[in-house]
Formats: sequence, C-alpha cells, structure tokens
Amino acid sequence: MKILGISAHYHDSAAALLVDGLPVAAVQEERLSRRKNDAAFPLAAAEWCLESAGLEPEGLDAVVFYGRPMLKFERILTTALRAWPQGRSAFTHAMKNSLGEKVWVRGLIQANLGVPAKKILFTEHHQSHAAAAFLTAPTDAAAILTADGVGEWATLTVGRGRRTPGGATSIELLREVRWPHSLGMLYSTFTAYLGFAVNEGEYKVMGLASYGTPRFADEVRKVVRRTADGAFALDLGYFEFHTTVRRAYSKRFMDAFGPPRASWDPIDLATEDGRRYADIAASVQLVLEEILVELAASLHHETGLPDLCFGGGVALNGVANARVLRESGFSRLFVPPAPGDAGCALGAALYADRIHFGQPDRPLPDHPFWGPEADGAELARIAGEDGLPVEELGDAALIARTVQDLTAGRIVGWMEGASELGPRALGHRSILAAPHSAETRDRLNRDIKYREEFRPFAPIVPAELAEDYFELPPGGLRLARFMSGVFPVKPQWRAALAAVTHVDGTARLQALERAMAPRLHDLLMAYGKASGVPVLLNTSFNLAGEPIVNRVVEGYSTFRRCGIDVLAAGGARVEKRVRTKVQAEAELDA
Amino acid sequence: MRSPLSAIHWLAWRNPKRRAENLLRFAEVEADGGRDLVRAAEVTRDPLLRRLFLKHALDEQRHADLFRRRGVALIRALPDRSASAVQAQWLTPGERGLDDLRVEDEGDEALLAFLHLSEKQAARDFKNYVAVLGADAATRAVFEKVLHDETFHMTYTRNQLLRVAPERAGARIWTARLRRFWKAYLRLAAALAGLIGALILTLQFFLVLPPFALLARRAAKKEPLGWAPIAPERNGPLERQY
Repeated sequence: MKILGISAHYHDSAAALLVDGLPVAAVQEERLSRRKNDAAFPLAAAEWCLESAGLEPEGLDAVVFYGRPMLKFERILTTALRAWPQGRSAFTHAMKNSLGEKVWVRGLIQANLGVPAKKILFTEHHQSHAAAAFLTAPTDAAAILTADGVGEWATLTVGRGRRTPGGATSIELLREVRWPHSLGMLYSTFTAYLGFAVNEGEYKVMGLASYGTPRFADEVRKVVRRTADGAFALDLGYFEFHTTVRRAYSKRFMDAFGPPRASWDPIDLATEDGRRYADIAASVQLVLEEILVELAASLHHETGLPDLCFGGGVALNGVANARVLRESGFSRLFVPPAPGDAGCALGAALYADRIHFGQPDRPLPDHPFWGPEADGAELARIAGEDGLPVEELGDAALIARTVQDLTAGRIVGWMEGASELGPRALGHRSILAAPHSAETRDRLNRDIKYREEFRPFAPIVPAELAEDYFELPPGGLRLARFMSGVFPVKPQWRAALAAVTHVDGTARLQALERAMAPRLHDLLMAYGKASGVPVLLNTSFNLAGEPIVNRVVEGYSTFRRCGIDVLAAGGARVEKRVRTKVQAEAELDA
Repeated sequence: MRSPLSAIHWLAWRNPKRRAENLLRFAEVEADGGRDLVRAAEVTRDPLLRRLFLKHALDEQRHADLFRRRGVALIRALPDRSASAVQAQWLTPGERGLDDLRVEDEGDEALLAFLHLSEKQAARDFKNYVAVLGADAATRAVFEKVLHDETFHMTYTRNQLLRVAPERAGARIWTARLRRFWKAYLRLAAALAGLIGALILTLQFFLVLPPFALLARRAAKKEPLGWAPIAPERNGPLERQY
C-alpha cells in the first residue's frame, strides 16, 4: 500500500510517504519553503515525497491527516464559549483562523493533491504521536506516553502498544488529560513569560534552567496541581492562553513570578533579574520532570512492560527524558527523532497502514534520514562559479582532510546523504567543530549561530565509546541515539570537552552507531586517533531564525554568510578564501 | 524638498517609546528581508547575482542589528517600558523587501525590478525620517548609515537589471510598480475584510453566543479534573473528521 501522511496548520508541517509499510520519504515543509516552523499545508513536501518515489497522487491508496479538524474546531469554539464574556479577541481570531482553511482539510487535500475524498483519512492527533513513537521503535510491546500542547482535546495520553513481527499491531490509548490542562502549555507559557518564542524557545528555557536554582518550585506547583487520581490540572487563574491571543499568562502569574522578560532584553545572569529568570526556568523544569517521572512510574507499574515509547513535543525535553529513564522503572525509553508534530506525518501514515488497513508489521529502519539528498556536484559547481577552490575527494581523503581542519580549530559545515526528519541535526546536516575549548563554543555562538551564550552545544560520539566519556544509565545509549537525553559528562573529561559541557556538567549527546551514518562514524574515529578524544561538537547547520539547510545551495549560502571555515558536501570540499575588502568589492564591481 | 507628509512623520517619531517600537519593528522587517534575499541568492543561476544578493542579505542583517540595538537603547532609557497603547505602524513603513513575493516563483528580472523599487521607496522614507529626527542624533546616525547602503542597493539592482534584461528593464520596472500597487490594494482589502469579519464575529460573540456559552460553562463544571478514560470507539474508523 502507498500511504501519504500529512501534518499541517499549527507548526512544523510535514509529509511522509509509506510504501508497503516502510517509509521511503519524509520531509518538513520548512526545509523546502525555507520558512522556519512553516505551518502551511505541506504541498512542496508532499510533492517531493511523491516525486522521490516516482508516484502520482492517483497512485496513492490513502492520504492520512494527523488530526481530526472538526474535533479541534469544536475544542476551539467550546473554549471561546467557556470564556464568555471574556475572550472576544480569541474568538474572532480563532474563527477567522479556523474557518479560513483549517477545518476544510478534506477539501484542501482534494484540491491540492487531486485525491478523491474517500481516500482521505484522519487519525486523532495523539494517535499519530503514539504511532510515531511506538511503530518506529525496535520493540514488540511497550507502554506509550504522549504529551504536547494540545491535539483535539487531549494534551497527554497513556496507553500501550503491541505488535507481532509479520502479524497484527495494536495501539490502545487508555486515558487522557484534556485541554486546557496541559504540560506543553505550562512549559510554553513559561517560555513566553521568559521572553522566548513559543514552539521554538523551549530549548532555551531548558538550557537556562541549568544556571538557576529551583527556588520558585513551590509557586510552580501551585500553578500546576496534582489531582487525586495521579494526573494534574492547571490553575487557570494563572493563565490567559484560553481566553486571549494576546498573552498566555495572567496578572496573577506575574504577581507570583515578577515582571516578565521582554524578548529584546538579553539575559544577564550577573543581574538580579537574570538570576530570577534562570531560577524560574529551573523551577518549571523541575516540576515538569517530577510530573513526568510520576506519570511514567505509574504507567510502568500498571503495564509491567520494560519499554516506554514517548512522543509529543514535550518529549523533546532531554533533561526530563533522562530523569524518566533513570527514575520511572522502565528499562528502555524510546523517543523518535521527530517526536513533535512533524513526526506525526509519519505516525499518521503508520497508524493507517498497521491499524486501519491491518497490514502486517514490518521492522522499520532505525534512522531519521528520509529527506532530500545532498549533492556534492552542486557544491563543486556553485563554488567553482564563485572562484573558490573545490576539492573533490573520496571518503577516506575527505575524512583525513576534515580531521586536519577540525584539529586546526576550523569549523566545518557537513552535509551528506538524506536530510533528517525532525528538529535535530543528527549528522547529515551538521556544523562540526573540535569540542575541547570554550573559545570554540563562544565563536560558534558569536560568529555562526548568533545565539544566547547560555545555550549549550551537543557532542557526538561513536556509540561504542560513549560510556568512556559520559555517565549513561542503563538504556541511556538508546536515548542518546537521536540526541533525546541529557547526561553527565564524566568529570575527568569535562575540561577536555569544555565546548560541549553545559554549566551543570551535562551534555545532550548523540551516540552514533556506525550503521546509521558510516562516514561520520569513521570521521569520529579518525578524529579520536588524531586528538585522543573521538568526540565532536555537533550543532544544526543553520543560522538563527532559519530552518536547517536542506540542499547544498542552502548550505553554501549559509557558509558564505557566517564564520564557518570549511564546507563538505558529498565528496566536495570548499574552504573559505581569506579576501581583502578591496578584492571583494572588485569582484562585485566586475 | 520637504515631504508633504513630514508633519505625520514628525508625529510618528516624536514619542521615544513609539520611536523605539518602530526601530524594533524595522529590525524584524530587515531581518525578514535578508532571509528573502538569501533565498533569492539560492534560487538564481546567475553567479554574480548570487554574490550580490548574498552581500545585500548581509547588509540587511547588519541593518537589523543597528535598528535593534538603537531600539533597545531607547527602550532602556524609558521610565515606562510597557508597549504603547496606540499602534500606528502604517504611519512609518520601513523597507518592504520583497513584500510577500514568493522568491521561487520569480525570475531574476522580476526580483531585481521589485528590489529596485523597494529600495528606492525605503531610501525616500528613511530620508524623511532623518529630517524629523533632529534632536535624536543617535537614531539619525543609524538611518544615515542604512541610507548609504540603500543607495548602493538601489544602484546595483538597477545596473543588474540593465545587464540581465537590457531591452526590458523599463517594462520590468513598470510591471513591478503595478504589482506593488496591486499588493498594496490586496493588503488594504485584506485589512478591510479582516475588520469587517472581526465586527461580524464580535456581534455574534455578544448576541448569538450567550445561551451557548451558558450551556458550555455548565458542562465545563461537570467535567472532572485529572484523567479521562478514552472510549474504545475513539480508536475506530479513520474516515471521520470529528
């Protein structure tokens, strides 16, 4: 069967194509449209998926949308009604927004892809998250936990999944916490309060938390209370996200935590306000972890299963994930590379294939590389046109050359193979650097990523050597496969890994198995041989406000606009030429 | 020559808080424009245009930084840092960049013509702002720096248009001019439609919704907090949207 999964309209829209039960292509719309967090209907992504498989839309057996739009509309309308007579602006905004496009998904898919209505299916949002988490994980039976801002009504679900190799699959969601009580909204509200963009700045809150002490934890526990049945509920007096589009938090929230940070105001941890922001971040992080650990521990007790699959945007919180793994009783924790809405495109398609159509289970390739390929010849052409010397090298020579670059302190843009699905660069669209000195970190922040000083960079290490450098709990290696957990760097290595060790001595590492990205693995080993430490700094190949690069031309334009020294794509390598201002102007005048 | 709108400009820039907000908004617009130019550089097959678009994109990024820094400095000097009650962004258009042009769908000629007009308009606006910023030397200096670059942008886009389309340059500029008018009309029409829509929805909110609101609130009171079981039929057929 050929099934196209689609996620759209809220954030991170994406398309994923399944052929005979296996993914063949998946990409986020933002990687093609070049608009970060693009939420538009993913027409370019769908077309690319079909084209890469040589399919026409009429060849599809089904198109599956990752949510039930009418149910979502019901929730939006009911929320507005419950807030009456407050919430006029939220009502007008939501109606214009929903009635403009978002509720007419069936017609939209028909119009854009020419697929007949009877082939268009809808999963529930959290079913898509559950399927993306469970059906991509190498396990036959697992407990399932999904948590995000909100789907239709559910904000968090628990359940279990079971599959028989070559046989039937079941995903049973047992219970849910319903809107407006949401861990995702809790964290996003603090994100907005701390002056960061919602659905984008949550990483920053997590990074900032390490600088603070959770002295506001009791206040946060008043904002999100535990219910007698072991779930949680928000005290809505602290929030306004359900009544207005203007602000997520209320005056009472500000009375409790002080004035919010303006987005333009840099965080200075030497000031009282800066420390307060860090303490608030630490407090909400702690409370989130506590709740997740308790929910997971109770689910473990209930199901008796050793594995937990965790999906939804909240599963991007690597610090919380590591605590869940350590403290909930589960032996293994599976978080997919795209646990957020982008991954729902794949989840929806898998759910339809295995559950709706009852297709037999097939093990999925355990990697995130489903996007467009990087073409080294394209780099050679463009750089050649700009008069930059291009080297075209075989794998071994490229690795040797890159090791030289890295040991010389150069920063390398690294593109190979298909791009990743999900928010993290896992080795195919990465910026790589030596991990040893804090100066490298500062240079990356200052000249390349243009981002806040308190945000850490992640290390990448061969999986078989990860435990030499990092303190991994049982199951930690699996969680580190897609950079989904934050773990302590071994104290004796912290100085040698200063660029990737966060202020609290931890790192969000990726443990790379050779089978997943052989050439990058070889590079790590070769770098280890040259430097004594087979670890590199690995950060996503993009600039602030831009999506991760996709095609080589985007990698090249990024390389030209920032302090990256070397760009390697496929077998091609380009190094930045040091030019005088006069030379550069003469070139442009020519 | 003094702009006939100088009184409006003076009004729009007089208040330091609004001045700061305008500058922060300009910073966002310049950064967005820079990203559009990066896209233009990625899409073009002309190597010289690629280099020029990238340089232009870097300039826009620098302008964004200049505007942001000055805006932040002004806000920091204010006794009251809250946002202005009156938003009058239409009084002070910044650079429009490529408007809502889809860069991928345009050829080099159309992009150059569009950019040329946009830079020309921005240069004119910025000159007007400089004229009314008499007392604020630091903000004036920012505009003067930006203005210097805008002049280069205006010139290179014109020269490149003449290079890539020597015989069609004039026609391209006129087409771009008409498209800008059309886009301005669309923006106005969309704003008007939005206003009418908001008015109708507001009337509905207060006149039609109250009985339903009452029912919804009563229902909400009955909803228990905490876990809600998921009925097995929820895992049923995927054909329905609700």
